[in-house]
Amino acid sequence: MNEMRMLFVVLIPFITGILISVMKFRSRKNMLLFTEVMAILNSILVFLLLLYRPEGALTVFRFTGNLSIRLQLDGMGALFAGMSAILWPFALLYAFEYMKGEKGEKTFFMFYVITYGVTLGIALSENILTMYFFFEMLSLITLPLVMFTRTREAILASRTYLYYMLGGAAFAFVGVIFILTYGCTSSFVPGGVMNLVKIGDKTNMMYLIYIISFCGFAVKTAMWPFSAWLPKAGVAPTPVTALLHAVAVVNTGAFAVMRITYFSFGIRLLRGTWAQYTVMGLVIVTIVYGCSRALKETHIKRRLAWSTVSNLSYILFGVVLMTPLGLVGAMAHMLFHSFMKICSFFCAGAVMHKTGKSYIHELDGMGRKMPRVFVIFTVSALALMGVPGLCGFVSKWYLAKAAMESEDTVAWIGVAALLISALLTAIYMLTIVVRAFFPGKDFDYDRLPDVKDPGWRMLVPLVFFVVMMIVFGLCSGQVMELLQEIAAMSVS
Amino acid sequence: MDILLLVSLLLPATAGICLLLGSFSEHLRAVKQEPRKLPWLPPVVAVVLTVSVALVLSAAWTGRRSMTLFTLVDGLPVYFKVDEISRWFVTIVSVIWLAAGFYSFVYLKHEGEEKRYFGFYLLLYGVLVGLDFSGNLVTMYLFYELMTLVSMPLVLHNGSREAIMAALKYLFYSMCGAYGGLFGIYVLYRYCDSLTFTAGGSLNMTSVSGHEGFVLVGIFVMILGFGVKAGMLPLHAWLPSAHPVAPSPASAVLSGVIVKSGVLALIRGVFYVVGADFIRGTWVQYTWMILALLTVFMGSMLAFREQGFKKRLAYSTVSQVSYILFGLSLLTPMAYVGALLHTAIHAVVKCGLFLVAGVFLYCFEYTKVDELKGLGKRMPAVMWCYTLFSLALIGIPPTAGFISKWYLAEGALKSDTGVISWLGPIVLLLSALLTAGYLLPIVMKGFFPGEEEDEKHSGKVRISWFMLIPLIVLAALAVLLGVFPQILTGYAVEAAGVFGWEVGL
Repeated sequence: MNEMRMLFVVLIPFITGILISVMKFRSRKNMLLFTEVMAILNSILVFLLLLYRPEGALTVFRFTGNLSIRLQLDGMGALFAGMSAILWPFALLYAFEYMKGEKGEKTFFMFYVITYGVTLGIALSENILTMYFFFEMLSLITLPLVMFTRTREAILASRTYLYYMLGGAAFAFVGVIFILTYGCTSSFVPGGVMNLVKIGDKTNMMYLIYIISFCGFAVKTAMWPFSAWLPKAGVAPTPVTALLHAVAVVNTGAFAVMRITYFSFGIRLLRGTWAQYTVMGLVIVTIVYGCSRALKETHIKRRLAWSTVSNLSYILFGVVLMTPLGLVGAMAHMLFHSFMKICSFFCAGAVMHKTGKSYIHELDGMGRKMPRVFVIFTVSALALMGVPGLCGFVSKWYLAKAAMESEDTVAWIGVAALLISALLTAIYMLTIVVRAFFPGKDFDYDRLPDVKDPGWRMLVPLVFFVVMMIVFGLCSGQVMELLQEIAAMSVS
Repeated sequence: MDILLLVSLLLPATAGICLLLGSFSEHLRAVKQEPRKLPWLPPVVAVVLTVSVALVLSAAWTGRRSMTLFTLVDGLPVYFKVDEISRWFVTIVSVIWLAAGFYSFVYLKHEGEEKRYFGFYLLLYGVLVGLDFSGNLVTMYLFYELMTLVSMPLVLHNGSREAIMAALKYLFYSMCGAYGGLFGIYVLYRYCDSLTFTAGGSLNMTSVSGHEGFVLVGIFVMILGFGVKAGMLPLHAWLPSAHPVAPSPASAVLSGVIVKSGVLALIRGVFYVVGADFIRGTWVQYTWMILALLTVFMGSMLAFREQGFKKRLAYSTVSQVSYILFGLSLLTPMAYVGALLHTAIHAVVKCGLFLVAGVFLYCFEYTKVDELKGLGKRMPAVMWCYTLFSLALIGIPPTAGFISKWYLAEGALKSDTGVISWLGPIVLLLSALLTAGYLLPIVMKGFFPGEEEDEKHSGKVRISWFMLIPLIVLAALAVLLGVFPQILTGYAVEAAGVFGWEVGL
């Protein structure tokens, strides 16, 4: 029974989603209330699960031999599940206001809620097969959300999205097969499962397979050269872009890479090899590439999407350092980046929702019309830049510390890349801020559309995220200790 | 927890934030409104500023205070400590802030948006005090970043397109510099015992061994990074764009004080965390010296060629601050003392010069050097102040500039840095000539404009005491500090003493 609770939290969102589509609601409000209550309930269940952690694993379904769908909760999974449980109710609240008046709301909320369950499924996966199963499912479930507006642009974007996801999954699948073949077990075991006897002298092949599966899973984090899908997917409604394409889906990719690196292949096999340097090189290129593209982009959501590309590679950089400290930095950035990026996306979305404007040059002087939104956006920009006192500084500090301690030239170049990227971040974020607040002395404020700050449904999530950024920035001690414990458990 | 220290940090910052909130909410309520008169604003700001300066100075000069606020990251607390360098810098900042603050009360009528201006002005004072009192590198970095962000709105104050572009340029160059500094901090965190400032540094030689090359690269990047704020080559281009477009009192504090934060950061990084011995004689020291000397020369040349008055002063800042950097880069006691002295003296003089430029702008809207003719008769007091500032900046005895340059040149000659030990003084001398060349013509034309000018521009112009008194005080300082140099040199020699250095002339 104790272990069954894990299945519940995964299934409740599925059931909620299906109920939304089949039930007849008397009004829109009732549907929203139902959705929100179910999401909060599920989040409470997740937190109960984290507090009273079930020790064992739960076999949901057995195919054959050791191939089975199994759920288990470990430290890293707990982090990911907890993060999702915090974000989903807030994102839903925001979506209620954002989606007002859109056609096909029901379908939207159905898929939106289901993704919650899928993400939890990934967090709770006990073995590589389960993770792969949910991983695929996430690609498919989010597809209708990308396609939601049904414009030509959206359909083209969703096609790109599908190709990239399927391609990535195919690469990842190769990795899964090899892990099943050369591993002692399919489960995730701290330190890795590779059977060195079986591998024998085929280590170089294993390195190649690692790179292939790394790339396969990293398609979801939009690593270069697989990053083109993410900015295109920005045609989806903002709640989707913000929660899924800036946080959940991309973090899933990073999470999967953590799993295969630390729990399947094992860092003992990989550290110091050409496989490590290859992926580290790719990651470092992405860090700078994403930022440069963001700088060039004039559409606000696409700019933020490119920024996500770069920031996700911060996480991967921490992962491929292959030290416990690197993992701490990676997890910290995964957690903090979620808050920063969802916050900046929600701000962008609020402006787009209110004014219909989506290009940066159209935002001149908007800081006076929507002061709260733009103040919050400024805080998230500063956090992304890594100004001390906000959470971005903390995670970058740990990433840089880990890179320094590894005493490795490529890692040192990585630190330089982090700082170059921070500078570019400052440029592409603060130009928006300066434009919005200081449009110039001859600016005619009457030209702006007559809009105000959005309602409480949008503001509550925004304020919450800002508070989290400041809290994590000022008192990161306990969170970091927790992450250090998790990292220590994941390596031994 | 030291209450006095905390209050002296928080008082100006809180007052500034209150003013900013007031200004912001005003904008929200009424978009279109005639600019209101704010008779209460100058007295309130004056009181807050005076009280904070009094608190700050008493916190600085009574005992060696220290305080830990909370832990920012990874066992690194936000830690404040008052030591000899903090006292030196915080006193400079306070004097300049008072002078430019009082000057602003009248000047800002010319610019508008007074609430926003004074809000950022007070907030920036709090941030600078925090920077000066910082006790470790991470705290310093925190305030360093904040300083950039808070001083940026002063640059774009008048809201013209040029000002906004200059502010962005300032912001991005500064960020670039700050991240360079951060790279150094990352490196030093790995290879130092602690990032708390200790005289002579705390580099852990056992962990450095084998990685000397990399550590030197880290230190070099840090020097370049913090050098950006001080306008050192190759990243000096922001300074001549950003300083002139700000309102004149803001230019005065930017050029007089904010650039010195780069100097402070370098002193802290090089002398208090790394330790001078580690980089003495390495390529880092030589490159640093050469960059500083090049900047000294290039800044003066550009100033000489420039026709905009404030822009000329800004180029002059580029050149003069690199005197200080050159003094630091020599890593000898005498030059270190010279650098400290020049920090104080240049702050006073350059602040004064920009305030003079502000008077010309305020009264006549003069911006070009050619327009400044015959002003000696129209406002003799201001012109005399300008003359004194010019002489001090050139370094003619008995003004203050002479003392600092003497120490710098002497320090260079006594150092064993090969060619540079004699090339340095020559460059300094050349630059002094150029300084005379770009400052003194204004004095000449001011007092002796030639005949045809006399007709057009005549009649005395009165200016407010609020603007005149700061000028006179600063001019008096520029002379008195040269006549009685012991006030400064005594303390600077003492400050060099913490490294076990003895300085005798």
